[in-house]
Amino acid sequence: MPERTPHTEVEGAESSAFVAWPIELDGVTVRYPNGVVALNNVSLSIAAGEMVSVVGLSGSGKSTMIRTINGLVPATNGTVTVGPHTVTTLRGKALRELRGSVGMIFQGFNLADRASVYQNVLVGRFAHTATWKTMLGMASSEDREIVLRALDSVGMLEKVWGRAGALSGGQKQRIAIARALSQEPEVMLADEPVASLDPPTAHAVMTDLERINTERGLTVLVNLHLMDLARQYTTRMIGLRAGEVVYDGPATTATDADFEAIYGRPIQSRDRLGK
Amino acid sequence: MRVPTKPRRLMVRLVWLVVGLLFVGSFWGLDLEWAKIGELPSDVVHYFGLMFSDPDWSKLPEALFQTWRSVSMAWVGALLGVALSTLLGIPAAEGVGPIWIRLPLRWLFAVIRAVPEVIIAIILLTVTGLTPFTGALALAIGGIGTHAKWTYETIEATPTGAGEAVKAAGGNLLQMVRWGLWPSASPELMSLGLYRFEINVRTSAVLGLIGVGGIGDMLTGYVQFRDWSVVGMLIIVVIVVTMTIDAVSGRIRRRIMEGAKSIELDRIV
Repeated sequence: MPERTPHTEVEGAESSAFVAWPIELDGVTVRYPNGVVALNNVSLSIAAGEMVSVVGLSGSGKSTMIRTINGLVPATNGTVTVGPHTVTTLRGKALRELRGSVGMIFQGFNLADRASVYQNVLVGRFAHTATWKTMLGMASSEDREIVLRALDSVGMLEKVWGRAGALSGGQKQRIAIARALSQEPEVMLADEPVASLDPPTAHAVMTDLERINTERGLTVLVNLHLMDLARQYTTRMIGLRAGEVVYDGPATTATDADFEAIYGRPIQSRDRLGK
Repeated sequence: MRVPTKPRRLMVRLVWLVVGLLFVGSFWGLDLEWAKIGELPSDVVHYFGLMFSDPDWSKLPEALFQTWRSVSMAWVGALLGVALSTLLGIPAAEGVGPIWIRLPLRWLFAVIRAVPEVIIAIILLTVTGLTPFTGALALAIGGIGTHAKWTYETIEATPTGAGEAVKAAGGNLLQMVRWGLWPSASPELMSLGLYRFEINVRTSAVLGLIGVGGIGDMLTGYVQFRDWSVVGMLIIVVIVVTMTIDAVSGRIRRRIMEGAKSIELDRIV
């Protein structure tokens, strides 16, 4: 892992010797115990610091793919490499350490609603904290500082002592982003991060992710099903259909025909978010 | 017109026949004296008169003291039982413990559920003697059977999202349980714990029958003395105390569960 000092300013990662990680999938197949093949022989190479969208309809395998990168879903075949780690060979503590370097946000925010915002963001420090301390909700002063800074960077510092469940959807997703940022990750994964949000909030959250990529330099991989979001916020787009890569190229210039090939049907109005 | 052949449903008829035979047959083994049923209403009125026409309130302080012992027995039993059930029940939940831990634990809970608290107390008597502590211990162990089952069922019904986030951030199993599952499962578990206390209050009176102390013990004594006016007073005390505890505990439980829901309202207010 590269040496890094804690961020000294909100958008401060590039000041230290920060190196983002590349992601490599080589012949990755995921077959679930019920026999469904969610990912079929997928090979991909994502450079460090890229902002990539993975586009596909639900059931296309994009949730599965993003989860093979932090080992939440084990690959049946093939290898996944993230930075210096071969995820597919990691177990136990080594796997948890890798996950500590990979931030992830989710469609359903996945916060503990009855816990405070502070406790939720502190989860981002678990990979670096003794278990008994986390049981009691204790944190070192550095971790506390990292958590507060992460909250400040998404504009949610004033909510730090409130309950997570009392927030709106957009606010919850910002807390979830702060939780991922407090990991001080090399890679950021986002699984349909705006699918539960209204259009203005969705654009705000996508802008946050864009800033994480441009200002902090993280490799960002974001699952989307809406074409205009992919075009507007990401530079490269990977299209998945029935567990296979059917498109891999620039996102901005992807044509409607490209999207129709990914969706496997004509474009519909619900494929766009709008403003 | 071709009418489909009517299904014979032989099995269904056979099952009904067996159930009917069992129903009739069960009366044979009981040696029921049918003639006595006619006298039952007048007997009931007679004993009700003996018990409740003039309850003996002079023994009330003693009754209250024994009630206090019963309730303490129930409370200690609930605390111990709920603590043990939580420790054993969470690993028995799918998604937490591996199958070779889950299955033996569930089997253990099922065995405990099959043994009534009175039997557990009788077994414990040989070690701990005729003390309220025996009663509390029996309630604690007996409580594990159902409460641990409720615990793992509650944990399994808890949304998995927060736990997934803890795992994704590099958290281990304990951290996942503590910050992924516990925050959303704990109100329900606390409510069930209080419910366990309510059940224990009733069961502790039954445990008194075998002599571990408390209001049930006193009641058995006065029934054996045929001192019906005291028995009447004791029954009134048991009913009033049990109903009061049920009402108070039920209100607290409702408060806990409403508190869990009303978070959404915080945002609007």
